Amino acid sequence: MTAAASSDADLISAHAAGDPYAFSELVKRHRDRMWAVALRTLRDPEEAADALQEAFISAFRAASSFRAESQVTTWLHRIVVNACLDRMRRRQTRPTVPLPEAGPGEPVAPRDAMSDRETSLMVQEALMELPEEQRAPIVLVDVEGYSVAETAQMLGIAEGTVKSRCARGRAKLAKVLGHLRNRIADANVPADGVNVQEQRQWEGR
Amino acid sequence: MTGMERVPMGPPWSIDLIADLHAGVLPPEVAAQLRPRVEADPEAREILQALDATLEDLQALPPIPMPDHVAARIDAALAAEARPSAPVVSLDEARKRRNRRLGLGGAGVLVAAAAAFGVVLAVSPGTTPSSNDAQPAPTTSSSKPNAAPPLAVKESELGSAVGDVLKAQNFGPLETPDRLAGCLKGGGITSSGNPLGISPITLDGKEAVMAILPSGLAQYRLVVLDPKTCGPDKPEGVLADTTIKQR
Repeated sequence: MTAAASSDADLISAHAAGDPYAFSELVKRHRDRMWAVALRTLRDPEEAADALQEAFISAFRAASSFRAESQVTTWLHRIVVNACLDRMRRRQTRPTVPLPEAGPGEPVAPRDAMSDRETSLMVQEALMELPEEQRAPIVLVDVEGYSVAETAQMLGIAEGTVKSRCARGRAKLAKVLGHLRNRIADANVPADGVNVQEQRQWEGR
Repeated sequence: MTGMERVPMGPPWSIDLIADLHAGVLPPEVAAQLRPRVEADPEAREILQALDATLEDLQALPPIPMPDHVAARIDAALAAEARPSAPVVSLDEARKRRNRRLGLGGAGVLVAAAAAFGVVLAVSPGTTPSSNDAQPAPTTSSSKPNAAPPLAVKESELGSAVGDVLKAQNFGPLETPDRLAGCLKGGGITSSGNPLGISPITLDGKEAVMAILPSGLAQYRLVVLDPKTCGPDKPEGVLADTTIKQR
């Protein structure tokens, strides 16, 4: 049955074979991490809960389509991430908050004076300011610790695109979080046309 | 690759370019030539350090455990999904199917009876309907095949039923999500999505339906409806409406 020692793949097989508890067990194992991803991607707890419920039900029904060559967690995450992204696209009503006008590199508060909790809140807030296409890979790679390859599978994009979106997102976060001094951020030349072109050329790798 | 990629000139270099180098976006041969030059430039080095600090901030974000009420809701939804007949088949359909079964059963009884008492039946067709009447008559519109008695709840102890109702997706005499929505509308209760749990109950002995609805963070809205009177314009059909907080 659903022994605690079963692997994720065993649980999927047991579920496909009709074990009514196997899928719930699988969800219990991974739900905290999936919740964090959904909440950090969608911002709104109600929406995150709806997206997760929708994703888990759809995974429950589609478990027979699971292919052993991918990790169960990658497969499940992909369904969750897609449910979140679908919701964001459908919603489209809450535009992404622009970066503060105060200028790049202007910290929200002096970092030394902040407790860990305040730092976490500030990082969380800054994350919410990233556009969706950068936030999702940053959450998966930098916060949740998935590899670039796994994240590319989850998001259905090329690995080079994951790296490039992470790079853009980190650069914005470095400014918002005050890690870049104003002088550097201001003096730094913006990406010129040549770089952007090269960027596109490099992205597909 | 071709090995012909141009190494961007600098310093200075754009933050985006340094972030690309940092994230491993650049082709290895470009990165190999660029990295020592970037590291030799104090400002570029500061940008690399800022990107490292940003990564450390992201990696240090604490885990966010799923709140209990969300876990309970998802467990309930998966349990409902695992039940073979619920909630996809409406009670109405189930009842129709049961009636068909009973009809067939009745025919079987008649055939068997005819074998034994053919002549009697043949001359007394009027007895046929009474054989259907002999089936246990439903006492209420909510009677279900294989139904356990509805959960008995006292008005003074509504909260005691929450655990059981959360595990169920049984619309009982309300039969469909549409009727539930109509009854909630009658009480001025707005709720998006499916109830977290719903079950027929008796409230102080009277037939009712309890629904548990999502209601913001760490709380539920518990609603008890009278299936006989509730409807879109009938607030009197809401017997109880209370918000309970997650412990």
